[in-house]
Amino acid sequence: MKSYRKMTYPYVVWISIMIVLPMFLIMFYAFTKTGNSVVQFKFTFENFIRFFSDTIFLEVLGRSLRVAIITTVICVLLGYPAAYYIAKCSEGLKMKWVLIITFPTWINMLVRTYAWIGILQDDGVINKLLGLIGIGPVTMMYTEFAVILGMVYNFIPFMILQIYTSLTKMDYSLIEAAQDLGADRLRCFTKVTLPLSLPGVISGITLVFLPAVSSFCIPKLLGGGQYVLVGNVIESQFLTSGDWNFGSAISLIMAIIIMISLYVTKKLDKSEIQERSAT
Amino acid sequence: MKNFKRIAAVALIIVMCISAAGCSKKGGDAKEKYGSDVLKVFMPGEYIADNLIPDFEKEFGVTVIPELFDSNEMMYTKFSAGESYDILIPSDYMIERLIKEEQLQKIDKNLIPNMKNLAPEVLNAAYDSDNSYSVPYFWGTVGIVYNKNNVPLSELESKGWDIFRDSKYAGRAYFYDSERDGFMIAAKQLGYSANSSDEAEINAEYEWLLDMKKATDPVFVTDQVIDGMINGTKDLAVVYSGDAVTILAENEDMGYFTPDCGTNRWYDAMVIPANAENPKLAHEFINFVLSDDISRDNTEAVGYASPNGNILDEMVGEGGEYEGNEAYYPRKYDLDEIYHDDEKLRKTLSGLWIKVTAAH
Repeated sequence: MKSYRKMTYPYVVWISIMIVLPMFLIMFYAFTKTGNSVVQFKFTFENFIRFFSDTIFLEVLGRSLRVAIITTVICVLLGYPAAYYIAKCSEGLKMKWVLIITFPTWINMLVRTYAWIGILQDDGVINKLLGLIGIGPVTMMYTEFAVILGMVYNFIPFMILQIYTSLTKMDYSLIEAAQDLGADRLRCFTKVTLPLSLPGVISGITLVFLPAVSSFCIPKLLGGGQYVLVGNVIESQFLTSGDWNFGSAISLIMAIIIMISLYVTKKLDKSEIQERSAT
Repeated sequence: MKNFKRIAAVALIIVMCISAAGCSKKGGDAKEKYGSDVLKVFMPGEYIADNLIPDFEKEFGVTVIPELFDSNEMMYTKFSAGESYDILIPSDYMIERLIKEEQLQKIDKNLIPNMKNLAPEVLNAAYDSDNSYSVPYFWGTVGIVYNKNNVPLSELESKGWDIFRDSKYAGRAYFYDSERDGFMIAAKQLGYSANSSDEAEINAEYEWLLDMKKATDPVFVTDQVIDGMINGTKDLAVVYSGDAVTILAENEDMGYFTPDCGTNRWYDAMVIPANAENPKLAHEFINFVLSDDISRDNTEAVGYASPNGNILDEMVGEGGEYEGNEAYYPRKYDLDEIYHDDEKLRKTLSGLWIKVTAAH
């Protein structure tokens, strides 16, 4: 056993260089500002105060959270039935469905998002079809609808796969037992299947919410430059304003929000398990 | 049959050996003459005729390694990190900065006889007053592309940039997503200098932009504006003259207009970094780009105004590729300005710009 432990060393080195060190750098930048020629860096809370005292940044933060939550909810509502259906399919069909769902992720995300521009724009595919039945053109590009659509499209495979995995791992004899004890199909689902698949739903939520709340290329491409989310503000601080300190502060604020949401979902997960074992 | 295959294989190997030897001989010539047969060019994407690099490689027996950047700032970051190139093609203000930082070497004009082809309009601009460091590559202005059927020219002439604050055009406009250009437009309309770092003036410009957002709520885009305007999705757009050339060529309803109150006049130019490994070949490349034939190919492929005076006249002249295209040959106004390198100003503007775009 002991000799196997050595095999983790490369990974430990990897995460210290690629994850831990950058995190410390972000912390460092977030709490400092460039000083004068004598003192290179000055400790400060200015970057955080700047973020929280400006209504525009708070609006952006609110918008990001709202869009991420809407995206996550839609992914659950669409993804759960899909995963449930796939889990019920025969072995061979299951593999095919999983392949179909993961298939889009083989193509670069930017390319897929660009494709939506052609579909959604005023003279795009959808509007041409609508035109045939005398409707439209409906403006869809550069709206919140386009951004959420793009996010749901890009992130839903993660949700489906997570729920699907937890559904297939479920012991089917539990459902049979419930049926034996006289539970109808609805009761079977709400009392057995749903609680047992919740860990999958929760990890699916994490995998969808996190990229959705920090995404910057989807809003830029489908929402236009005026559809600014937190990810875009961070990007602009690093790439155009060159204000690494402020950019790091916003990144840190986002990291904290994400950590809190992870903690909450984990709590939910645990309380669910405890509740189940108690009943 | 088997024998035939074997003979074919041997023949193929021999041919490959000979051609390889041929190549290396050619490369050897270039090496002798220039010290190296590799030229590294760092330039913006989609900004060169497809045949230019292969033609140059063939003529001089060298290898060109093109590398592309999205923005001057991205180029600067990578270049300053120590990467070595033989040619850079940045914009005016960035060249001004590189000259200030002594990162460029002087151009030996004797090695570039084709400098004589340069149009007088592109010479001796403020960023490099006697072109001792830079040779223009493309140039142009920032202007308004408008749908001639829906926006009367007389209204553009009377309002200038203020047309973007006319709520009549709400939801019918694109605005270019760039802090420097955005603030330039506000500054010009308000009668300030696009290079002003006066706090009160910048505040007034910021208010102008917020007001514009309220009035017309334009969509902020960059390159997407080209497709958008070709398809006629909006009636007004802020566009670089070179992109406007493409739009006007594809959609005849569109016109190009630059307000009398002035706009930004810009130049992208070729420079040779101080740490270039192959400056001799770099001069050869610049000379090659300025030749009439290559200038013609380049401007026809990219659509931006050529720095070559002969080609400029040829393009807008009778039977020229851009005859009647009002965006091709940039018009000169007294109030037009070149951006000065001012990193502090750019950062201030960028910090405000994200607030302009995010405001609702």
